Amino acid sequence: MEAFDALMGGFAIALQPTTLMWGFVGCFVGTLVGVLPGIGPALTIALLLPLTYHVPATSMFVMFAGIYYGAAYGGSTTSILLNTPGESAAVVTALEGNKMARRGRAGQALATAAIGSFVAGTIGTLALTFVAPWVVEAALAFGPAEYFSLMVLSVVAVSAVLGNSMLRGLVALGLGLLLGMVGVDLQTGQPRFTFGRPELLDGIEVTVAAVGLFAVGEALYLAWQGRESKTGEVMKLSGSLWMSKQDWARSWKPWFRGAFFGFPIGAMPAGGAELPTLLSYYTEKKLSKHPEEFGHGAIEGVAGPEAANNAAAAGVLMPLLTLGIPTSATAAIMLSAFEGYGIQTGPQLFSQQGSLVWTLIASLYIGNVILLVLNLPLVSLWVKLLKIPPPWLYAGIIVISTAGVYGAGNSVFNVGLLFVFGLLGYIMRRFDFPAAPLIVGLILAPLGEQSMRQALTISQGEWSTFFTRPLSGSLMAVAAMLLIVPPLWKRYNAKR
Amino acid sequence: MTPFRVALLLVTLCGVAAWQVTVIPESLMQMTVGPVLAPGVIVGVLSVFALLYGISAWRGRQADESLAPDQSPLPGANARVLSLLGGGAAFIALVIPLGFVIPGTLCGMGVARAFDAPLSPKSALMCGAIASTFWFVFAQLLGVGLGPALPWWF
Repeated sequence: MEAFDALMGGFAIALQPTTLMWGFVGCFVGTLVGVLPGIGPALTIALLLPLTYHVPATSMFVMFAGIYYGAAYGGSTTSILLNTPGESAAVVTALEGNKMARRGRAGQALATAAIGSFVAGTIGTLALTFVAPWVVEAALAFGPAEYFSLMVLSVVAVSAVLGNSMLRGLVALGLGLLLGMVGVDLQTGQPRFTFGRPELLDGIEVTVAAVGLFAVGEALYLAWQGRESKTGEVMKLSGSLWMSKQDWARSWKPWFRGAFFGFPIGAMPAGGAELPTLLSYYTEKKLSKHPEEFGHGAIEGVAGPEAANNAAAAGVLMPLLTLGIPTSATAAIMLSAFEGYGIQTGPQLFSQQGSLVWTLIASLYIGNVILLVLNLPLVSLWVKLLKIPPPWLYAGIIVISTAGVYGAGNSVFNVGLLFVFGLLGYIMRRFDFPAAPLIVGLILAPLGEQSMRQALTISQGEWSTFFTRPLSGSLMAVAAMLLIVPPLWKRYNAKR
Repeated sequence: MTPFRVALLLVTLCGVAAWQVTVIPESLMQMTVGPVLAPGVIVGVLSVFALLYGISAWRGRQADESLAPDQSPLPGANARVLSLLGGGAAFIALVIPLGFVIPGTLCGMGVARAFDAPLSPKSALMCGAIASTFWFVFAQLLGVGLGPALPWWF
């Protein structure tokens, strides 16, 4: 009941015209970045970080949430009409969605994706509303040792589970942690890894690293390939946007099942949105009364994964808001936005910044409605955007990236660093290193070191504190299992 | 560039980082964990991963997207990459003396060239419009400090 009252308070602020306007802008921009290839929510939020000094925290986070949800919605449009997912979680939608479009049922595919996104997004937000206070209550028992162990678990999970190779994930994580150590040590004031450059004393800006890796790195990779100018065929928006009775009957169960896959997996460290969308797809294929349609445009194959994708977006916000632990690149950049405002994340966020958190959650409900209204009627606008020629699209992306980084501190050094990170992003993309562990490592390294030092000070230098405290020990055990079990399992399967 | 060369780069980076760990000044404050421990552990662990990656690359087990059938670069790959980086270098060199719009335009033209747009007046106009619009939105509407649009003497 307490959560309900707090949520109503959040609605009172979220429905004020200014906050609503920022939410609308966020949803619009989010859908745009979801539609356009090469730009994701992490990059967009990173680019907007310089604005944090000019806009109130509530408005900014409402906009960021809109961008995050909007990107999850927008990715489906390109998957269905172009067979090119705007973001990774929409890959599965392309399997059936594009086939439906080719059979003249693009309207119904977009409709089931949009309505499913709305249903699952709302279920995910409901779960966030009522589960988050429990998690906060449990997390209040956490000491520095538990926090450190939780961060170890998060970074190990993000590195070991994401990407195609655990080793490459761990290398990316190691690089991120190393970069996170650059700058003055806050406890002793000693400079580390600065090479005598005063520009590095404050550490490496998350914006610079994220924008360099995601925007410049991607542009360099695509320019190197030289295939981007040969864009794919955009399917015509044929057929009515209205779903038939049969379409509704075949869609509603996948929407709910997708939501139940998406939220819990999204809330787990490194759960992300890719795994639940895949699980949802295979479950629907298994349960469908028309399995022969899969691979040729089955509506269940669009409805379920799209629902899972959007519920996972709500799930990812859970560890961020309750524990201050980012489990994706976007969440990591949102965490750094909290830091930009001087807001301490973690369980105390709900007590110290209750109004902000509940406004943010309320805005997610409103955002879902805005996106439902925005997505379908404006679909022809999104299709037009897909026709922007790549030279102007990428010129725009790089110029806005440079402007965002330069505007954050008028530092030419940071612009240089942006292109260095771009080169790193290109190498990582080409040799299949995942970027998310690097960003998560960069942000968590200083926080993790701080928790470790606090825990060791409390335990008077006893390292066993991380393993003998029950909760901390359990988290460490899970992290160790994540590192050890998958390779052993792979080897066992290979031998069989 | 091959995965093995990436591994060599990683190992070199680890060597430089290890040298930097040794030059971190010891703190005069009495504390359980000083400023060297965490960086030292991270560099050590990264070195192990870099070596494992190197061994795996040497055995030919690491991925290179350029070898995938539909991912290999079309001719002129290096020129395209240099064109994009050249745009960035132009921005860095000129943004302080010339304000935001002219270097932003040159940066955009470099990027557009990397995506096969010719260096033409049309490209200059398009990129000028993009840079001016972003300057107007960021600096004028949102108050982000991008400096002047054009040099003071313009």
